[in-house]
Amino acid sequence: MNRWLAALLYALLCAVTFVVCFPLLWAISTSLKPKEEIFRWPPTLLPERFTFESYRELLFGGSAASAPGAGTPPSDFFLHWFANSIIVSVGSTVISITVATLAAYSLTRFRFFGQRAVPYVAIMGYMIPSVIFVFPMFLTLVELDLTDTLLGLTLGYVCITLPFCLWLMWAFFRGVPLEIEEAALVDGASRLQVFRQIVLPVALPGIIAASIFAFIVSWNDYLFGRVFMNSMELLPLTVGVMHFFDGTHVDWGLMMASSVLMTVPMAILFGFMQRHLVAGFGAGAVKG
Amino acid sequence: MRLRLTDRQVGVLFMLPFLVALLLFLVWPIAEAVRLSFVRYNPLRPEVQPFVGLDNYRFVLEDPLFWESFHQALIWTGWSTFFQAVIGVGLALLLHQPLRGINAFRGLLLFPYIVPTVVIALNWRWLFNSEIGIVNHLLLQAGIIAEPVAWLSTPDMAMASAILLNVWKYTPFVVIVVLARLQTIPTELYDAAKVDGAGALRRFRDITLPQLAEVLAVVVVFRTIWTFNKFEEIFLLTRGGPGTSTYNLALYAYDQSIANLRMGVGAAAGVLMLLVLLVASFLYIRLTGFGREDRAA
Repeated sequence: MNRWLAALLYALLCAVTFVVCFPLLWAISTSLKPKEEIFRWPPTLLPERFTFESYRELLFGGSAASAPGAGTPPSDFFLHWFANSIIVSVGSTVISITVATLAAYSLTRFRFFGQRAVPYVAIMGYMIPSVIFVFPMFLTLVELDLTDTLLGLTLGYVCITLPFCLWLMWAFFRGVPLEIEEAALVDGASRLQVFRQIVLPVALPGIIAASIFAFIVSWNDYLFGRVFMNSMELLPLTVGVMHFFDGTHVDWGLMMASSVLMTVPMAILFGFMQRHLVAGFGAGAVKG
Repeated sequence: MRLRLTDRQVGVLFMLPFLVALLLFLVWPIAEAVRLSFVRYNPLRPEVQPFVGLDNYRFVLEDPLFWESFHQALIWTGWSTFFQAVIGVGLALLLHQPLRGINAFRGLLLFPYIVPTVVIALNWRWLFNSEIGIVNHLLLQAGIIAEPVAWLSTPDMAMASAILLNVWKYTPFVVIVVLARLQTIPTELYDAAKVDGAGALRRFRDITLPQLAEVLAVVVVFRTIWTFNKFEEIFLLTRGGPGTSTYNLALYAYDQSIANLRMGVGAAAGVLMLLVLLVASFLYIRLTGFGREDRAA
């Protein structure tokens, strides 16, 4: 490639990347400023004085701003929320991926009535707006006495992750050749042995990819958490941090620090995920 | 003693949990939503659910806010999808170039897609803050605006900010899919065209675009449907405000159910949303033939 053209393309890439990354860079910068600097006008691009006070407040509690007798400040719940989000996201991911992997395998290796319709029902499932699911699910959970519990929220997330896991795993298994399995079956291995010892190891990359997607979808949800949950200590992270807006005075340092902390687990997963994202997956592989 | 299962039984057994889950988590909530749309449901008195026929639908269809939300939903969906498709294809072409270090750029440019909506909404509120937001500061400095813009508290600007948020977050989806497709276009096509003396623009128009057409059509449909359904992006950024200027149908349904305690009306709005989507998808399938087995994956 022409050297000038390459230089031009790099310049363009850098400019676009800067614009795309700016909101996150700005969040990081804000989260590291002391409170009085955040409200200064004109704003400073980089913190003049670096401080971790916003992070300390979130991770170790003891908000300086909390007036005596005003009850526990929302920031004291941050670690609870973080743990809740992990529990609920892992829970729904495990349920969805287990059920979807078994079904996807069955769909691609056996013949039965209605088989071809199943993946399409699943893909329809993730075209349906969450607002439709959320209230009937909520009323059902009320009957079961499961509202405001982490279990209830986990089940709610299965609604959004399951169809999508099935579609992904189905697409994945369709691409796995049958020969080795058939050879093993001919040699007298049972179907369960084949599944455990041959299929699962081969399917592992697909399972990991689908799990990461499902985890991200659950972790990022707001609507279900908002409708299902009530107690401060049981909220998922997304619903919790919106409580920082409750007071009269908005603490942007705290907000941006929690933004950063919420994004870090996603960034780590994304690192693992990137290869899968770019290579190979078609249109059905991602949800949003 | 170990249980010996026939092959066929294993197949059925593997399928069962999914079928049960499908009934519980997909079929049942939708059936319930449809049922709710025909009753009057007051959460304070859940034991009384009188059947009211089409009253909820009549209420919705006679509600000016529903039509306003519908109109705004179309604006929100149309512009968001348009910009996502155009910018997405542009970025995908850029990221497809064989440059050293391109993978790092790919990673950074795809990242917004997995950032939680809450995080983006918080960041947007901070960036576009009318008093001390950095966006106003930068625009003032550059002389593009003469005085601070109230981004989130004037109707048009609030909608524009919400669309910008949506474009920022979901353009990577278009990039991912288009990039994956670009990588499968045989390079021989380009080589042959070069030999025939076709310039870069001709090659783009005559090879790249036709090859992308199908996948682009799919992407646009997915994005249209999902954007139409979006709730959190708007709710977290503007709560539908100022006034009701950024309501879409999802917000309308939510508001009827939660704020007005009219679960039945909310459900009816949801069912109407679903009908709009069904009609749109049906038309689309008829027009393009997408959904046939050979094109599905």
